[in-house]
Amino acid sequence: MSGAIDFAPPAGASGSARALLARYGVALMLPVLVAAGGAISPAFVSAGNLSNLLLQFAPLAIVAMGQSFVMILRGLDLSVASMMATAAVIATSFSGADSDVPSICAAAALVALAVGLLNGVLVTKRQVSPFLATLATMILLQGLRFAYTQGAPSGNVPPLLRLVGSGKFYGLPYNALVLLVLAAVLAIVLHRSAFGRRVFIVGGNPVTGRLFGIRSHLIIIAGYLISSLLAAIAGLILSGYVGLVDNWVGQGYELDSIVACVVGRVSLKGGRGSIVGALAGAAIIVILGNEVLLLGVPIQAQLIIKGAVIVIAAALYARRDAV
Amino acid sequence: MSAALSARPVVPWRLRANAGLAGVIVLIAVIFLTGATVSDRFRAPANLLNVYEQMTDLALVSIGQTLTILSGGIDLSVGSQISLTACLTSGLINGNAERVVPVVIVVLLVGTCIGLLNAGLVVALRVHPLIVTLGMGAMLQGVTLLYALGPVGRVPRGFGFLAYGRVMGVPLGATLAVIFCLLIALMLRYLPIGRQIYAMGDDAGSARLIGLRRARILMLVYGCSGFCCAATGLYLAARFGVGQPYTGVNYTLASITPVVLGGTLLSGGKGGVIGTLLGAFLIALLNNLLNFMDVSKHYQLVAQAVIIILAVSIYVERPRME
Repeated sequence: MSGAIDFAPPAGASGSARALLARYGVALMLPVLVAAGGAISPAFVSAGNLSNLLLQFAPLAIVAMGQSFVMILRGLDLSVASMMATAAVIATSFSGADSDVPSICAAAALVALAVGLLNGVLVTKRQVSPFLATLATMILLQGLRFAYTQGAPSGNVPPLLRLVGSGKFYGLPYNALVLLVLAAVLAIVLHRSAFGRRVFIVGGNPVTGRLFGIRSHLIIIAGYLISSLLAAIAGLILSGYVGLVDNWVGQGYELDSIVACVVGRVSLKGGRGSIVGALAGAAIIVILGNEVLLLGVPIQAQLIIKGAVIVIAAALYARRDAV
Repeated sequence: MSAALSARPVVPWRLRANAGLAGVIVLIAVIFLTGATVSDRFRAPANLLNVYEQMTDLALVSIGQTLTILSGGIDLSVGSQISLTACLTSGLINGNAERVVPVVIVVLLVGTCIGLLNAGLVVALRVHPLIVTLGMGAMLQGVTLLYALGPVGRVPRGFGFLAYGRVMGVPLGATLAVIFCLLIALMLRYLPIGRQIYAMGDDAGSARLIGLRRARILMLVYGCSGFCCAATGLYLAARFGVGQPYTGVNYTLASITPVVLGGTLLSGGKGGVIGTLLGAFLIALLNNLLNFMDVSKHYQLVAQAVIIILAVSIYVERPRME
């Protein structure tokens, strides 16, 4: 690895145009994609479709933001989808009344903290590779979930969660508001706080971090805690969107969130990434999937396009970052 | 990892290749002894032969996965490769006994070529194998679904011999997997390119400086993984009598477990295929024991996860800091 650390530009300083383009270039692709989508099929830019896109965007975007913290810290979190499904099972484990929502949130948060802690401790204290540690917790959660539900979860999602997950306020989905708040908080935490700067230092070069006296283990554990917590929130929202529960709510989100981050220029090698990038990456994936549907291309082609997008995006970044 | 973190003492070759073997053998012994006290039928040779037979698919796919991990990479496209090759097998044979031999050859070639394509993309695009094979996995799953949305074709009755056949009482498929594994182990041990895989996985920078040809090593490693996936696809088509487009999905992550249990480091450069074979046997034995103990399938996952977590936190090589 190069010794150089990719610092986030200090607060207040205006980066050069080129640096800005490098950081937010992927976000500039969004209007292009939307315009192209509208040109190809007018239905794409209809208010109804855009509002639905926004509805589907929130869960993936929330998971991707958590994934970006872990990836900046040179990690990977494969347990997010399992965490989402677990949160969804928790959401239906109570009586299904609105009065249970606080207990649901508390239970989901507790499980998420336990999972994040286990991931973080395995990665830092036991030096297990992140891939393996989160793979193991993924299987563990999956097994516990099956044991708890005996393979057939049932129950009702409280109306309040349903409203947050699928309701709209004059066309603006409530879950997008949740996303907006979370994104603002996380952007400040990652890009404007002392903790965020430590995240970039530890991810960029752990040795430097150690020399600076940063307790890198704590930072990394915090990263996994954030990722698990966000996955739990996304799971609750998604269960409200789906309206019913099975053991696989959120399946595929572990890979999709990694794809979103890579497309959004969060480096797998650590030390580079941004909340805006993760959001833009998630948006690109959701938009591409939607356009494929509208174009009437066989749904299987979605997978081919998604696979090609991740390889091409990574290849483009590899070229530029190598310099 | 950065050079500063991985300043390790030189480990003798023998120790390096066999690290972790002891661990997996101890685990197998523990499970076997537990099983022997639980049930007489568990330790009966007939049951142990069944366990041997049941490890075939996992053993085959993880042998290839071991090579990619040893070289410092990973192959996340194995699940889709297995699905594709299983569908191709039954789809192309479609019940014609005389097509079996050419189709088997074609399928093995297709698998190998997909692996070579993975390696080519890693070299040409300078992208981490994790990303390349992740993307390749999605694309191949799409291709598989374009080819077949459901179970496709069928294989002639005799083809099942590959999965269920026994030669003098010994399961054929599993024995072929073991022989293949031994060949790979010999290659890793005695051929220069085998040693080069370890060297590259241990320290890619130094490997480049001493002039190892990365492209050649990667093509061997990913080609081999593709070949193993095709073999697994053939085996699954033989076992189920038909190829299904999602038949391989679970193998992508499942193939990593035996590798890790067998003592191969996920960061590369240390381990070997014999450990992986034992790891696959360990998982088959564990599932078999849990069945004997009448543990519900739901708890089997929990048991597997606990064993993985135990194993990885015991084996792991801790980087020495000062």
